[in-house]
Amino acid sequence: MNALFSQLVMLGSSGMLLTALIVLWRKSVPSYISAYRWQAWLLAAVTATVAYFAGDRQLFAVAAALVALKGFAIPALLRTMQQRFGAQPQIKPYVNTETSLCVAGLLVMFAYVLARPWMAVTHLPTRGGLPLAMALLFVSLFIIVSRRKAITQVIGFLMLENAIALLAVVGTYGVPLLVEVGVFLDALMGFLVMQIFVYHIHETFDTIDVEQLTHLRH
Amino acid sequence: MSRFLALVVQTLVAVALAPALTGFIRWLKARLQGRRGAPPWQPYFEIRKLFGKEAVVSHTASWIFTATPFVVFSTAVVVASLVPLVVVPSGPFVAGDLFAAVYLLLLGTFFLALAGLDTGSPFGGMGASREMTVVALTEPTVALSIVALALNAGSTSFSQIVAHTLAEPSAALGSEHLLAFAALFIVTLAETGRLPVDNPSTHLELTMIHEAMVLEYSGPYLALVEWGAALKLLIFLALAANLFVPWGIALSFSPVALLIGLVSLIVKLAVLSAAVAVLETRVAKLRLFRVPELLSASFVLALLAVMSTFLAR
Amino acid sequence: MNAMGVALSVMVAGYAAGACLAALAPSPRAARLITALGALVGGSGGLAAAIIVFATRSPYDVAFPNLVAAAGGVVLRLDLLGALFLALVAAISLPAAVYGITYTAAYEGRRSLRVFGLMFNGFLLGMCLVPCAGNVFTFLLAWEFMAVTSYFLVMTESDHPETRHAGLWYAAMTHFGFVLLVPMFLLMAPGADQTSFADLRAGAALLPAAVRSGVFVLALVAFGSKAGIVPLHVWLPRAHPAAPAHVSALMSGVMIKLGVYGLLRVAVDFLGTGPAWWGGLVLLAGSLSALGGVLYALAENDLKRLLAYSSVENIGIIFLGIGAGLVLESYGLHALALVGFGAALLHSVNHACFKALLFLATGNVDHQAHTRNMEQMGGLIKRMPQTATLFLIGSAAAAALPPLNGFASEWMVFQALLSGAQIPRPEVAIGTPLAVGVLALTSGLAAACFVKAFGISFLAMPRSEGAAHATESHWSTRAVMGVLAAGCVLLGLAAPRALGGLSRVLVSLSPGKSIAPAQTRAGVWLLSPHGIAQVSPLLIAALLTSVIVVVAAVMRVRGLELRHADTWGCGRIRQTPRMEYTSSAFAEPLRRIFSELYRPAEDLSVSVHAESPYFVRSITYTSQVVPWIETAFYDPVIRGTRALATHVRRLQAGSVHVYLLYITGALVVALAAAWWFE
Repeated sequence: MNALFSQLVMLGSSGMLLTALIVLWRKSVPSYISAYRWQAWLLAAVTATVAYFAGDRQLFAVAAALVALKGFAIPALLRTMQQRFGAQPQIKPYVNTETSLCVAGLLVMFAYVLARPWMAVTHLPTRGGLPLAMALLFVSLFIIVSRRKAITQVIGFLMLENAIALLAVVGTYGVPLLVEVGVFLDALMGFLVMQIFVYHIHETFDTIDVEQLTHLRH
Repeated sequence: MSRFLALVVQTLVAVALAPALTGFIRWLKARLQGRRGAPPWQPYFEIRKLFGKEAVVSHTASWIFTATPFVVFSTAVVVASLVPLVVVPSGPFVAGDLFAAVYLLLLGTFFLALAGLDTGSPFGGMGASREMTVVALTEPTVALSIVALALNAGSTSFSQIVAHTLAEPSAALGSEHLLAFAALFIVTLAETGRLPVDNPSTHLELTMIHEAMVLEYSGPYLALVEWGAALKLLIFLALAANLFVPWGIALSFSPVALLIGLVSLIVKLAVLSAAVAVLETRVAKLRLFRVPELLSASFVLALLAVMSTFLAR
Repeated sequence: MNAMGVALSVMVAGYAAGACLAALAPSPRAARLITALGALVGGSGGLAAAIIVFATRSPYDVAFPNLVAAAGGVVLRLDLLGALFLALVAAISLPAAVYGITYTAAYEGRRSLRVFGLMFNGFLLGMCLVPCAGNVFTFLLAWEFMAVTSYFLVMTESDHPETRHAGLWYAAMTHFGFVLLVPMFLLMAPGADQTSFADLRAGAALLPAAVRSGVFVLALVAFGSKAGIVPLHVWLPRAHPAAPAHVSALMSGVMIKLGVYGLLRVAVDFLGTGPAWWGGLVLLAGSLSALGGVLYALAENDLKRLLAYSSVENIGIIFLGIGAGLVLESYGLHALALVGFGAALLHSVNHACFKALLFLATGNVDHQAHTRNMEQMGGLIKRMPQTATLFLIGSAAAAALPPLNGFASEWMVFQALLSGAQIPRPEVAIGTPLAVGVLALTSGLAAACFVKAFGISFLAMPRSEGAAHATESHWSTRAVMGVLAAGCVLLGLAAPRALGGLSRVLVSLSPGKSIAPAQTRAGVWLLSPHGIAQVSPLLIAALLTSVIVVVAAVMRVRGLELRHADTWGCGRIRQTPRMEYTSSAFAEPLRRIFSELYRPAEDLSVSVHAESPYFVRSITYTSQVVPWIETAFYDPVIRGTRALATHVRRLQAGSVHVYLLYITGALVVALAAAWWFE
């Protein structure tokens, strides 16, 4: 039973990591949005699995909220944003695709080495997902740092939030509901603020290339 | 003795089935695109026709050009006797493991690239250059997929890997297996010249890799080269199938086990070639400088597979 | 005197006689013949000595304590490890010497062949004495002798400015290594009169850990600069093309292996075990060298520079094997560590064989087609068929294709790296797949590199007048290359036997610790550790040949109609050399993919007609790949050294009174110090 539990959680966590790699691989924003949608659904699935096997009812509610908010609402908002900007010219990221993928691989190795002591400490059957959650965290940070389109950086930030949520679920079977709701609202606020900023950037510079922000320097 | 005989039978079966595999993929693609398509056994007619035609060899070419079809064909045949197709090669007389198979196929590609340069045609040079680039970039992924499998099984010999997967069926669903399978599938598409890396049915300069290298071949030489390429595709697909889903493969050398192995091989090949055909119908060919991105993605998948084996300890 | 003494005396006497008699030779032709004769005699003596040591499995000591007694005397000690490298030096020197007879004929009238003969035999003597050295003084003497003589050999064609430049870099890097060797030995030697290698070995166990690590780092840098690891490799691509072909063959095939010998002697023989980061450093150096070497080889158009960078790549592979061995040793997995060292030794032997073959063939091409630039070659397979076939065998071996020798040793390195998974600490063991990935990428790129090297140089149509009028070279050069090619094939097919012979060397490296694991079976199969995976180059060759024979027979029986015509090329009309792919074009996709590494300096200038900018008159495009490590690393060092030297120069005031003041001042200070410390 436990073996099946940890197998499913590992599959879900690996899937989430793979969606982050898709953001590093593909170049079109609609594919980033569907990658984020897949990741949100996988996170909900992992949460529901933990809820089922650990017998925690609250986590089912969390999973449902995840689906509603991150599975439907935020992707819809992202799609509106993307349609508002229309087709953007190819903006090359700071790091090219092959190097990004290799760096992502190295970050996964680094996360594995970091997470080994934690895996030794906890005895939960989901501990195999800890390195994957850490890896997702690092890869999302890398996405934010190495991409030039503002909307990609927003998606990176959202994936970072997903990574922290996964870490909480896998490490300690989730956090109390109140904390979960607070984190949700935080993320939503952050996202709405970023949305306003991206619209402003687009109006000012007619592009969402954040490199143009250096023109604001004196 | 029966072991030796079983391996000979396996090799002959592979050599005989290879054109049918290519023909099946072509036929399925045609049906998916709404055409009738040639029957799946069309490549046999083509090979027979080519063997009867005269061969035209360029003035510029040397003995390398005429020797290459033999090298390509024989390396593919030797690899077919080393890999688990119908039966798992085991025992003290096995000639090689996974690394030996990979390097033997590299030998064939080496000579094919030289033959492309030999005629002095720019198409040949272009094909040789692109092919060596793609092959060089797939090598790390192949090595890492082998490592992922070998770490689990404890060795790079085929019999060990197959035995390990058969002993632990739940491992087949593990993330390391699926990731390694995905990586190996992408490598298969790259090495055998299928979409999205290379278009096997084109002769436009911008879109050729493998076809450009063999552009000058005709008659029996072309038949040997095409047959070798089809055999290479069969080997890769059968490897992908039998290393990750080994049920049905013959572990002993009795006739019943061999028959079951043959039937299961045909079924697995049919499923995988259907997947290849569907994929080829859906995707467009990648620009040459997008191919390294695809190959780095497959490298990272293989790296993740290896990482997962460490996680599972 | 026993057989060993006779053999060693023959070796020293042969080289010394060859050197002196060549210097006094009556004519250039006599000088050439005497040079080769001396080298042959000396080489045979060296080879005989090594074979005797292998046969009797006992080391041989001889001491001359009265020679330079103040430094410890000259002590020769030939154990199994030294015998292996001595055999390597001697074996490769024999073909090179015979090759040199006809090759150096081109220097008659331009350079002094007497001096060349003197330096050539001196070089071989130095290289043979390094593995025989039994104490610090002998080792350093032989090392420096080898360095000085090879400098003069590199400067043979000193009328070219690049050669002088190359000689400068070579001398600087060699002495940089020497300068680091002295403190390394000083750290190990407990007392001035106990400098024999036996004393060093005994004393090393008692050294504190920090000193041992210091010794290891110094050894790695000093011997690594001789071996040619990145970033200390900068002299290799300059010196090897500048030297004559058979000297390049010796330098690339054997001299850099003496760096490997030094590292094995100090790190494995003297120091024994160490912390895991030693092996990690070596693995890092190996990975960088392997990848950097092959990537820069791909970007080269000069055939000899390409081969030089390929040597850097192969040294990287050897260091990967050594690093794997060191890491496994540090975790107590002695048997697996021996697999790593065995793979490194086997690859050293194999690389010497095929690289010497490749350099000798390139020398042929250079002299017949009068160019080293691949963009000017082509069609040589029809003009120089035997040289082409021999170059093909060397290229296939360098690309690690079965069943030749490069494949066998790379397979063993893979198995050694894979055994890293047995390391008990997963954080360290996870580096294993990365190393395997690096090695796989290197071998794929090496295959691409040698397709380019052979394909562009020898195939299709000639791209210049020189290539169009090339003829085969003298039969003696082809004969010795044939011997080397046969060596490549035999070392490949009989790799299990070769590895079996090497295991005796490995056991001698770790006496009493463990037996070498069964790495071969029945002399036909190479085995992985624990004997589960196996490969047999002999069986693979047999299978390939039988299939080819069957298919060819079937084709012959059916009858094959053959017609010769022009290249079709999708229906073009003419086939000219301008249509062919060029060397830069072949490497272009890989250059683009790795453009972050290459950072080519590109220049594009378009000149248009006066009437309209749409009518282009000419386009000039220059793309140059400058190894950025030289601009990033060496340029600041050179600038800093020059600045420091400029400052120190102020001491040279030019006035005699200031110099007299210096002398008087120094005398006063010395006397005062003697009085003070009384």
